[in-house]
Order: sequence, then structure tokens, then C-alpha cells
Amino acid sequence: MFIYLYVFIYKKIFLLQLSPLFSSQQRMFCLDNLICACVYFLADYFREGNSDLEDSELRFATCQSLQKQVKSETEQIEEELNEQLFDNLVSFLRRSHSAFQEKTTEWTWRTKSREIPTAALVLGVNVTDHDFTFRSLSEVLQNNVTPYIALLEAKDCPGIKNLMQKLLGQLMNCCIDVGSSEEEDYEQVSHTRVRCSMTSLINWYESATKRTDSETPGKKRTSSRHWQSPPVVVIFKDMESFTTKVLQDFVVISSQHIGEFPLVLIFGIATSPMIIHSLLPHSVSSLLCIELFQSLSCKDHLSTIIDKVLLTTQFPLKLSEKVLQVLINIFLYHDFSVQNFIKGFQLCIVEHFHSNPLSILCCQLEEAKRRVNSLSHNQCENVRRLPSFRRYVESQVSEKQIALLTADSSLKEAVRKLLEDLNVYHENYFPILRCLHVFTSSLPKYPLGKQIRELHCACLENRVWETEEYESSLQLARMLNKSDLVTMLQKCVEILVSSPGREFDEIVERLKEFLTQFQKLEETYQERDESVSPQKELQKKTNLYNLQKTLLELKESRRSKKLTKFEMLRFEVVDYIDSLVRRYLVPADHKTLHEIVYFNTASVLREHLNAAPRIALHTALNNPYSYLKSEALKSDGGSISNKAPDICIAYKLHLECGRLINLVDWLEAFSTVVTAAEGPTADVASSDQVDDVIHARFIRAVSELELLGFIKPSKQKTDHVARLTWGGC
Amino acid sequence: MSLAECRSAGALEVKFVPDEDVLRHIADDAGVKVQKGKSQLIVNTKRFVKKLEAISDDEAQEILEEKNYVAVLGLCGEGTWGTGTYHRCYFGRFFLSQRLESESEYSASCSEEEEVEEAQKEVSTVLSHQKTPAKTKAVSTPPSRKTLTKKKDNMNNLVEEYFEAHSSSKVLTSDRTLQKLRRKRLNQQTLHDLLQKSPLAYAAEIKELNQQYESLFSKWMLQLHLGFNIVLYGLGSKHDLLEKFRTSMLQDSVHLVVNGYFPSITVKSVLNSITEEVLDHIGTFRSPLDQLEFIMKRFKEDSSLELYVLIHNLDSQMLRGERSQQILAQLSSLPSIYLIASIDHINAPLMWDQAKQSLYNWLWYETTTFSPYVEETSYENSLLVQQSGSLALSSLTHVLHSLTPNARGIFRLLAQYQLENKDNASYPGLSFQDFYQQCREAFLVNSDLTLRAQLTEFRDHKLIRTKRGADGVEYLLIPVDDSTLTDFLEKEDEDV
Repeated sequence: MFIYLYVFIYKKIFLLQLSPLFSSQQRMFCLDNLICACVYFLADYFREGNSDLEDSELRFATCQSLQKQVKSETEQIEEELNEQLFDNLVSFLRRSHSAFQEKTTEWTWRTKSREIPTAALVLGVNVTDHDFTFRSLSEVLQNNVTPYIALLEAKDCPGIKNLMQKLLGQLMNCCIDVGSSEEEDYEQVSHTRVRCSMTSLINWYESATKRTDSETPGKKRTSSRHWQSPPVVVIFKDMESFTTKVLQDFVVISSQHIGEFPLVLIFGIATSPMIIHSLLPHSVSSLLCIELFQSLSCKDHLSTIIDKVLLTTQFPLKLSEKVLQVLINIFLYHDFSVQNFIKGFQLCIVEHFHSNPLSILCCQLEEAKRRVNSLSHNQCENVRRLPSFRRYVESQVSEKQIALLTADSSLKEAVRKLLEDLNVYHENYFPILRCLHVFTSSLPKYPLGKQIRELHCACLENRVWETEEYESSLQLARMLNKSDLVTMLQKCVEILVSSPGREFDEIVERLKEFLTQFQKLEETYQERDESVSPQKELQKKTNLYNLQKTLLELKESRRSKKLTKFEMLRFEVVDYIDSLVRRYLVPADHKTLHEIVYFNTASVLREHLNAAPRIALHTALNNPYSYLKSEALKSDGGSISNKAPDICIAYKLHLECGRLINLVDWLEAFSTVVTAAEGPTADVASSDQVDDVIHARFIRAVSELELLGFIKPSKQKTDHVARLTWGGC
Repeated sequence: MSLAECRSAGALEVKFVPDEDVLRHIADDAGVKVQKGKSQLIVNTKRFVKKLEAISDDEAQEILEEKNYVAVLGLCGEGTWGTGTYHRCYFGRFFLSQRLESESEYSASCSEEEEVEEAQKEVSTVLSHQKTPAKTKAVSTPPSRKTLTKKKDNMNNLVEEYFEAHSSSKVLTSDRTLQKLRRKRLNQQTLHDLLQKSPLAYAAEIKELNQQYESLFSKWMLQLHLGFNIVLYGLGSKHDLLEKFRTSMLQDSVHLVVNGYFPSITVKSVLNSITEEVLDHIGTFRSPLDQLEFIMKRFKEDSSLELYVLIHNLDSQMLRGERSQQILAQLSSLPSIYLIASIDHINAPLMWDQAKQSLYNWLWYETTTFSPYVEETSYENSLLVQQSGSLALSSLTHVLHSLTPNARGIFRLLAQYQLENKDNASYPGLSFQDFYQQCREAFLVNSDLTLRAQLTEFRDHKLIRTKRGADGVEYLLIPVDDSTLTDFLEKEDEDV
């Protein structure tokens, strides 16, 4: 059952009645009457897109659980990151509030000068992440400090009146949440009817606090959670976009009443704290007692996320180098938004599980091993088709090859083993990567990158030890001084000890040995000091001949370069690190079965997250063959193929014009091209008729170009249109 | 995959051709007449492209494989996200066209062989840089310092030339007009009939394309449910595709179709239909923001509510405003509202800043269909189509019928006066004082206040327009063409 709903405005009603052309398409809104039935379940959509239906449900379940896991993990990380900031804010509130409570002289002094305690919260340019920060901030405040919190956004507050309305509305609502149901009838007085003024706000505050005070004997909980006479916190989410007048008015008005109720402002600032002074004149900003708070920069934020989510074995899905590169590029060059990065990662998860039938094995090792047993024959074939698996098969002896290719059971056995290998590889990979990062991040000029993500990408891309950058960083590492080297080794030991890898005992042993050797060096150093060094000899009185001789000897000895013990040891350490890198940091795509856990179709990700609509449009207009696989369009080498679709021809012709285009000339050129395409077959007699059709086609092409935004009508000259792109202004 | 590769290869080519053309305009013939055939110019283009191809032939395979490179170009050409990228886009353009300039100099004068050789070298250095995969990503940055400085020189020149070409307001085009063509203007109806007659070119290929996109439907549903919203872009009307999506996927669920191209659609009407039809709410709201809040509250309270919103042409004239986009973005950010929309305008992505974009949470899908924009353009008052005026006429009569006889008289007076002056090209309109005088004489008003009240009503219905003359006097105009006005007066006379 359908109900067609027509929504139009007044005059347009005639359109409907007068022109039969539209009558069939006048469904402005089609609303299927509320048959609210979710017939389809999500898993069905998941399955339907897949060519092979096997295990899709299981895959979908895995996908969902992984997504949930990632989500909760990232949220937790963010909370932890914000904790410090929130603690500072709460203590700020406490400080400013204690003054109010005690009614100390300081407070009265402040009241006299009418200063409002204000926290300026510098959050950085990643505006999209702020929402989350503010949400958790208000949650924290709600739980620990005060029930009276108002979050204001610039778009809701075009004038001071709207601002007050919004403020009162939010405050009174939150009071309902705290108050019990008995009081509700009192609160039912709709805030819209209350005159929105500062006085009513104060009256409300007094009655609200009195009520909670009188309740305290009965309800200890509310009072224990919040402070005595809790402050009213007003948060301006995006301070920069507020109109200056509204802000000024609000500050001035509320400063008049600051003695009557404790008001605290929080400004969310995206740019720099200087903005307060450029928005508010001195007379207003002097009414604020501003304290500055800085949130963690989004770069550090991202590093933490990458560190905790991508560089662990916790999540079975891994990103390949290109995919990670796309995500990081979007972050660095487009938005600095950590939320978007996480969103990209979530998309990777969906895409991977949706497109790869073998992703069913992309789960924790134990579970994966169990699932291997129940693989169907088709899935086994899928495994055999994997390029990395084929490479593996080729490296085996011939009997084994046959067994792997024909018998499912032996294949499953091999897959189990390979999965285990892969798991071990990851367990070793990440700690060693961190160790290497400890070394490279302290080298001058950072040949392998400052951030661990850069190092990670380099390692994933190809054998890192074959690159020039690695070579140069090793050389630099060979010149490190002792104290740096020791601290680095200590850090490495810490990393390796705390990681779960099984093979690290030996490595830790070795590193500790190095450390003790360094220790010993220090002890022997004194001994060596005592032996007279050649430099000291120089200082003795000598004659010229002797001096020359000793200098020559010195030079000689330097050339032959007897390595000191320290240098030897240093070489040894660096070589050992090098050997570790070669052993453990093999790129993932050299590993068999990496396709199962690595998502590597970066193009899909880029297409969907960082699309290029203009490029697509131009490709379609310039070279229709790339979409329409017709032979007639194929010979199209940059010139106008006269068989191209009308809009392409019109587009190409318009490219030849300047800022203004004469419609008549354009039409003529168009018809020349089009008639040339149709060839001499067109009858002379019916030429007039044909002309009309071409005219109509031209009109359509032009109005389509107008819709696409390439041209617009111009009044500069009759029958001209203005070009809007590429040189046309 | 092969299709995608071809596309990327195409994208590569696209970068060059228009730039070349643009350069031509900037360099020499900003205002030369439109070339009628595809004469020499195109030949040049062809030759140029061929040359480029010859150079890049060996690398062609690699370029195809190194899709990175194409994508970098793509990013360069795109101003999707912010001004920063936009900047780079311009830079990229100059950078490319700069190379083209040296090429075109070659074709212009063969004497400067040295420079040409250098230019060739430049091109090949760029290409050889592509060879090393490590450097692929750096293609958008200039390959070497030496060339950079050289380029800077040339670029300055180019920039100067660009502004020179655009500083003069005079544009030379031919003076021919459509009237001299002695061909009658087609009206909407005949246009439609004519187009119906001519067969759609490449129907089979277009159908194939559509089928390709239709296979994505279930994926779209999945992604919609996972919290993403979907936006479709690419050449060609996406109306039919979305309609197909609706009929095949949304039959059993509540959904709302918004035809953004409809000239009088507003966000308010979208919100109204949600509150009235989906939420069964009777009552009005003070502002769209209140309404939005109400909707958000309802959807948050009742998790069983689900709504699919399909918007054809999200970038249409009426919806592209900042406020409408903000409201729609907030609407789409609700977890139980699933939005799937299409955009066509080349600058459509500029509508969205970071905040809106994150609210929308788009997944982009390219759906180039090549199908004609039949419905989308039917409302557009095309330049070439004769305006029938029937719409204007009927709205005139309709509005006037609801007015008092005096008000009708006032309007008649103005209309008559305008028709009397229709040959006067510089007719500014009727000044308010004169008008008042005339109305008094005809006993239509007794004070200028009553006249003003009348005029306000007219203005609200967009029947008249006022503008201030150079001397500060208010002039009144009826923004309807003369023939319609004549028709209107005749009809009025009949009625009376």
C-alpha cells in the first residue's frame, strides 16, 4: 500500500496541473505507509553481495564482533588520553568554586570586580573530534561536579535571546534528571513560558539548590556526588563561530549577577587562545578570569591509536602498507581527525570481511584453528588460489605438493601450521619493530622516520634492510655515544620483557650481556686512562724532529685504526640489531597466507573515503570510452569523436571558448559535428526535421552542462553563456 | 579491475587536454571567434597527445600498475575537502600546463630547439621518477631543484599571462543571435517530443553500466546499516538508479524520497514530511531547528523507528545553502536515519566543511551512468527553451482572484503602465509617487499607507519587484515578460 504525498508550495500547484510532461513524475515524496517491518536482516545484505554464500553468517558475526571490539578499545584509549585534561579542569572548577562557597574575601573581591572564572580549552583544529571530547567532559562533570551543565553551539545561538533560551532549557531539563518524580509537576512549567532572563535563571538556581539542600537528609546520594551548591557550567563548544555581540552581551550580563550564583564558563577553542582577545574587547575580556587548558595534540592522539590498535596482536585484522598510507594521508593532508581515521579503519574491517571469503579465518588463533577444520571444499580451493600459498606449494617437495593440492585434509593441516607461523611472526614483529624504532628515532635527521608508523610502513613495503635509508641509519647508529646506546638497550630490554613473544628470552639475555659489557668497559676505562696517551707525550718538551716523528706516528696509528674496545662492542651491538631486523621484520606479504589477515585493497578505500568526483566527471566527458565500452568510441585520441554522446561533444566544443560562449556558434559547431557523424545518409529533404532534432539535442546537452555547473546564463551579451571552469571566470 | 585501470589511465589523459586548451586561451586567443569546425586546434591537440603518449608508451604499463600515481594526480585535481587541497590543485594545474607550454612553443616555432629538448627532458625526468616505486608518491612535488627554479620563472610568467587575459572585461565573440537564425524557439513540450524520437545513444553500454551498479545495492544496504551514508557521483542522471534501489530494496521499509531538483523544495518541507508522515505528529514548530530537535528526540527515544531518506540532487539550488546542509547533515547523523543521495555539480563537495562532512559520514560511490538528466533539467529554465509563460500567467490570475477589487485595480494600473512603456528599453519602472498619484485619481486608495500595504502583499507573492533608482526614488516593476502581461490583461478584461 502506497500513499503518495504531494508537497508543494502554493504557486507550484499549477505546474502539476498544467504541464502533462511532469504529471507522471510528480511524486515529491513517496512514503510507503508505515509497514515497519525489518524483513531483511543485516546478515542478508552481507550475504547477498557475495558470490559465494559460504560461511557468510559466521564471517559477518566475526566482523561485527571485531568492529565492536575496536570501537570500545578506541573509546577507552580516548578516555584515557583525556583524563589528565579533565582532572585539571575539575580541579580548576573546585578552586574557583571553593572561593564561592567560603565567601572569602577573595570572592567578595572578585564579585566586586565582577570576574567570571573561565576555562579556555584549546582543542586544536580537528573540529570533528571535539564533539566526543565535549560529550565525555560533560559526562565527567555531571558525575563528579555538578548537574547544571549547558552545552551551547554557535549555530543555535544567533542572538542573545536564543542563547538564554537554550541555556535555560538545558539547565532546567537537567534538573529534572536529578530531581525525583515527585518534584516533576513543579518543573513541568515549560521553560518556553518562563521569561528567559538572568533573573529567572537566578531564581531557578536558588530554588533548585534549596530543594536539594532540604532533600539531603533523605537523599544522601545526590549531595555526595555533587558539591554543595554546585556551580553552573556553561560550555561554548565552538567559541570562534559565535557572533561577537552575543558573546559580549552574555559575558557582560552574567558578570552583573556573578555574586548571586556560581557561574563558570568553558570556551572550546580550535585555533589559538589569542582569539579570545580578538573576539572580545578589553572591557569585556577583563570581566573574565581566564585559565588556559591545552588538550593533547591530534598527532599524538593518532600515534597512540596506531600504537594501541594497529601495532598489536590484539586484533586479528592488519592493514597493509598502502592502506595505512591512504588513511594516514587523509589524516595529515585533509582533516587531522582521529575519528575519521577510526572510521576508515572500521571501513577496512567491513570491506575485508565482505570481499574476502577466507576472512573467516581472520580471528584469534585458537578459534581460527577450529574453523580450519570445518572448511568446505570450496574454501580449500580458495586457499589454493592464494598467490602466497601457491608460492609456498612450489617450494615444497613434489609429493607434498600433490598432497597439498589434492587432499583437503593435508591442506588443512598445512593451513593450521601456517596460521600458527603467521601468529608467531606477528608476535615477534611488533616488539622488534619497537626496538628498531627506539634506535632510529634518536638518530639525527631521522632517516627512517620519526614516528613508528613511518617505520612500520617502511618495513611492510619491502625488505627494510635493503633500503638506503636503513643503511644510512645503521651507519649513524654506529656513531652513537655510549650513554645513548645504553639507554636504548635498556629500553629494548624493557619492551622485549613486557611483550608476550616466546623467543625473546634469548635476545633479552644477549642484550643484558651487552649491557654488562658496557658496564665493564667503564671499569676498565680507568685502567686505560692511566697508561700514558700519546697526546700527553706531546705536551712534554721535545725538539722539532721528535715532534715531527711523533706526529707522523700518530697519524699512522690513526690510519691503521685500532678499534677501541668500546667501538668493537658498539659494532657488535649494531650488528646484532641488524640481524634481529633481518630475522623478524620480514615484510608481511612474503609470509604465506598473509591475504587472510591483511587488508590491502587501498584503491577501494581511497575511492570511498577520498573520492574524486571532478576527475570522474572529466574522464566521463573527455573520454567516454573509459565507461562505455563501445568500439565506435575507441579511436578517440584526444580529439572530438563525433560519435560521442551529445554532452561530451558539447563539452569539448565549449572548452575551445573563452569566458563567454555564443550560443549560435556553439549550436552550429555542434550540428556540424553531429551531422558529420551521421554521414551523408541523411536525406536532404528531411534536413529541416533532422535539424530540429539536433537542435533539441543541443538544448539538452547545454542544459545538462548548466546543471553540472560548467556554464551559466550571462546577461553581458544576448544569447551568450558564461563559462565557469578552467580559465572561464 | 581492467575497467578501473582504464579509468585511471583516462584520468591521466584528462589532466592534459583541457589544460592545453585553457593555455591556448590564456596564451593567445582569449577572444578569437569560436572555431566552427574542429579544425586546426583539434589537430594540434591530437598531435600533442600523441607526442605525450609516445613518450610515456614504455611507462604506460607501469603507470597502469602504479595506480598510486594516478591517484596522486587525482588528489591534486580535486578540491574536495578544503582550501589547502584546492591550492595544491591550482599549483598542479600550472605545473602541468607549464610543461604543456613548452610543448606548444615547440609546435609554434621550431627554431627554439634547445628549449624543446629541455622540455622533453623535463617530461622524461618526471616519467623516470615514476619508475622508481619509492618516489611515486612524490610525483606531485617537483622532481628536482634545478627544474623547480626554472619552472618558477616560467610559472610567474604564466600567472601574469593568466591575469592579463582576465583583466580586460572585454570578450570578443561573434554578435550572432538566435533570433537571426530564423529558427523558432522550441517550447518544452516539443522539445520533449523531439528528444523522445531520437534514440538514446549507446543504450546497451549504458545498461551494462547500470547493471554493474545495481550489483552494489546489497552492499549499500549493509553500509547504510553500519552507520555510513552513501553519496553517488559521476556523469549522468542517477535518478533511475536510485529509483531502482528504492523499488528493489526499500519496498518494505519506511522511506522518503526527496527530489532535490524540484525548484521549490525546501528543508522545511522535508522536515515537515518526516514529522507529519513518519512520526504522525500534528502541530507546528517555531523554526526548523526546533523541528529537527523534535525529530532527533523521537528517533533517539524509539529505537525501532527507521527511516531511509533518498535525496536526488543534494546539491540543487534549493538545498545547497549552508543552513539546509547543516540540518540535513544533522538529520543524517542519526543512527536510525539512512541517507543515500546523489550529487552532480562539479563543485558540490565544496558545500561541506569538515564538521558537516563528519556528520554526513559519507561513503563515496562513483556511478557514471551517462543517462540524460531528463527530470533534473526539466525544471531548469533553459536558455534556449521558449518560456511558455503559462505558469506565470496562471499564478498571476490565481493570486489576483483572491484579492479585493481595489487591489486588482492597482495591479492593473501598474501592468498597463508597464505595457505602455514596453518599447522603452531603459524603462526603470513606475515611481512610487507617480503610482500613488494615479491610484488616487482612480479612487483606488486614499492614503499612501494603504497603497504601501497593498504593495507589500504583492511583493510577498512576488508579483512586483521594487528597486531604487539612482536618485533614490523607489521604482515598481512587474517581473513578467510583456506577452504574458498582455495575455493577463486580456483575460482580465474578459472576466470583467
